[in-house]
Amino acid sequence: MLTIENLRVVYHDVISVLNGVSLEVKQGEILIIIGTNGAGKTTLLRAVSGMIDFYDGDIIEGDIKMADTSIKGLDATDIMKRYGVTYVMEDRPVFWYLTIEENLRAAAFSRWDKRVKTDMEKVFEFFPVLHTMRHKKAGYASGGEQQMLAISMALMTKPKILLLDEPSLGLAPLITEELFDIIKRLNESGITIVLVEQNAHAALNIGTRGYVVETGRIVLDGMAQELLENEDVREFYLGSGEKERRSYKDAKRYKRRKRWL
Amino acid sequence: MIDLLQTLGSGVLVGLVYALLGLCIVIIFKASEAFNFAIGEFLIIGSFLFYVLFFNDTLPWHKALPLGLLIFLFFSFTLVTDRHLHLRIAIPLGFAAGTLVFFIFFVGLKLPSLIASPVLRFVVALPLGLMAAGVVGAVVERFTIKPLLGRSPIAMTIVTLGLGFFLRACIQLIWGSHSYSFFLDLPDITLEMGEFLFLSDPIWAGILSLLTFALVIVFLFRTRWGLAIRATSEDQAKAMAFGINARFVLLMVWGISALCIAVAGIMISNFGALSAGMGFVGLRAIPVVLIGGMDSIGGALVGGILVGLCEAVAGSYIEPLGLIGFKEVAPYLLLLIVLFIRPYGLFGTVRIERV
Repeated sequence: MLTIENLRVVYHDVISVLNGVSLEVKQGEILIIIGTNGAGKTTLLRAVSGMIDFYDGDIIEGDIKMADTSIKGLDATDIMKRYGVTYVMEDRPVFWYLTIEENLRAAAFSRWDKRVKTDMEKVFEFFPVLHTMRHKKAGYASGGEQQMLAISMALMTKPKILLLDEPSLGLAPLITEELFDIIKRLNESGITIVLVEQNAHAALNIGTRGYVVETGRIVLDGMAQELLENEDVREFYLGSGEKERRSYKDAKRYKRRKRWL
Repeated sequence: MIDLLQTLGSGVLVGLVYALLGLCIVIIFKASEAFNFAIGEFLIIGSFLFYVLFFNDTLPWHKALPLGLLIFLFFSFTLVTDRHLHLRIAIPLGFAAGTLVFFIFFVGLKLPSLIASPVLRFVVALPLGLMAAGVVGAVVERFTIKPLLGRSPIAMTIVTLGLGFFLRACIQLIWGSHSYSFFLDLPDITLEMGEFLFLSDPIWAGILSLLTFALVIVFLFRTRWGLAIRATSEDQAKAMAFGINARFVLLMVWGISALCIAVAGIMISNFGALSAGMGFVGLRAIPVVLIGGMDSIGGALVGGILVGLCEAVAGSYIEPLGLIGFKEVAPYLLLLIVLFIRPYGLFGTVRIERV
């Protein structure tokens, strides 16, 4: 469905963040991308969604294709409208000073049709908690509610592919579990999901396939279950594995076994 | 006592015009965090555009032609780059707009001979003039502010400073620097009650400013586009991620701002005359927004009225003591006091910035 070929992204013309990332998103799956801080996960999503321009980044090489048509360099609005790729930024991208209902209407702005109201009802069905507080300002909602709002705002744009950037950031474990449940349900309703996460264990548990990104490269990929059992992933992302703890210096050890796509 | 009430009344009426000026600054500041220092020049341009339409004061061809050409180039360019139209469609559309502008400036709409009644003429010319001012605002935004989207607000603020000089020079090139008599001939609604006397012009100015202010607020809080503006004002990146075209929203905000400034400009010109050197009046907006709070729409209204009152009181009570010109300074003194007590203005959002 979505293919990324050898993507290289540079910020401010000098800072190279992605050094040739290739990956493929298949229709109807939950794709997990895990990696350390600064590995380039967020940049990858920004590049796909067309937001990279706003952050003064450039795609200097490679291509992003949506079913054989290149969407590289298109405006964020165009990518969303024409190809149904919606990017939910990290850290709960809701408008604090607007009420929850206004937030949802603002997110439906790119659509001209009159079905916004019925869609909003559907979203409220999905997240009943939002319905009870729909006239409250989003800034007063709790972290979990804000994240749910962010996802429902994304739903208002009628996405085909949902790019989620660390939805569990700063949320309590119980809420995270609920959130991942919701993501799974969304996927079952037919939305392809790309999920970037630090919480590797929970993410890989609901995911179909996964990629491990490190310093702007894909170093590992496979089915989510395989990754969960992979010794290196267990050690560096799941915090378990061999008994003796290696120093962080060795963390990049498995780069030698890297598979190029 | 009557004297004081009289002074306060006129202060409020002028204050409403200032409030409108403040609103123009505030909506731009909310949307792009930049202070528009070119407000004075926008004020003069808006007034002159209205003047051209209302009094049919046309320009010679060597001035009208470049204007038409500029509009032609701008429209074609924008339609191609922003709306992704094909050149075959964009160029004729741009050409039509350019020709229209050329004819309006060269031949004029002949409103004075078409419509005899000055009130009706005002009603027809005002929306046209305001629309023209809005287009000017949008054109300016497209060339100066849009390339800076996502950059530091300071950069935008400095651009508006330079823009002010540039626009002032343009105005002087086109209309010269002499005064134009500006008499709208609106119906006389002078209010005379006992010993009170409120002149017609300030009352009109107050009413129209308040009306414009209310319309802008209705637009911001009751329409879909207004919602998009408020969302973008909060965070451009988030708005873009949810499919709101932040670039277009910014364009719209500048258009609306230029339009409101034009209303204020027309009202202020109506007090006296219109000239290219009138731009300093626009800077009255600085104490208004700083007193009210840079990002508060209600604050602009309160700040405007406060500045108007302060000016009126200083004018009729302190100036006779021998302090000529104190009227001009008084709002800044008030500003100083307010900032000592509330550094973010009366209604401004207190920002917490971690270093």
